[in-house]
Amino acid sequence: MRKIPLEVYNFANSLRPMAHFLLTSEDPKIFAPINAIVDTGSPITLIGPTDLSRMRLSSIQIKKLIGKNRPINIGGEQIFARTLEKANLKFGEHLKIEMPVNFPINIDNKSTQPSLLGVDFMLKTGAKLVFNPSKKEAYFEIEED
Amino acid sequence: MEQVQELQILSNFEKDSEWFHENINKLRKEGFTGKFVAIKNSKPIASGKDVEIVVSEVEKEGENPSFIFIEFVHPEGYTLIL
Repeated sequence: MRKIPLEVYNFANSLRPMAHFLLTSEDPKIFAPINAIVDTGSPITLIGPTDLSRMRLSSIQIKKLIGKNRPINIGGEQIFARTLEKANLKFGEHLKIEMPVNFPINIDNKSTQPSLLGVDFMLKTGAKLVFNPSKKEAYFEIEED
Repeated sequence: MEQVQELQILSNFEKDSEWFHENINKLRKEGFTGKFVAIKNSKPIASGKDVEIVVSEVEKEGENPSFIFIEFVHPEGYTLIL
């Protein structure tokens, strides 16, 4: 059994399990550490506008992302996103995985939407989330092949 | 980039993320409520109400913003339901 440790922080008035990983891609060129809320209510993994701004992706680079602008309703706010099919997520020395990651297109510089690690990650890896807020403990468990 | 460097970048980012979340009330008392704050080595290095301006400030500090933890300081009691 492989165990991926997560942090438990108070964010926006609630304890949340959070993952830190390196997000990398060859085209467009991306190399950035990400702090994402593990959100079992989200079917997709989504990079928040703040993290996207840090990456300094140009509009030309964003156009390389595939698909139509996809409407997503999140936290009472509607955003549009596109998908990077072959993003690499590296969880320290614990796990490296290639999976689709979504990026917001209509960026509002004042949007505070956090990055989310969605159920798609858990389906792709077979990970089970263990979250005990009273002990501020959280981790993923992944069964080895 | 070598794996050791990658792990160091991730580790530094994690430490600044941890510092932010553990010191958010201190940041609120220091006037950062309603602003994006960039943290490096457990210290705010830039802040502002527009994230693009904060990213530019980080670059002026000679830092690569991709490697710097930036987060919004919500007012105390603000609840976000995802």
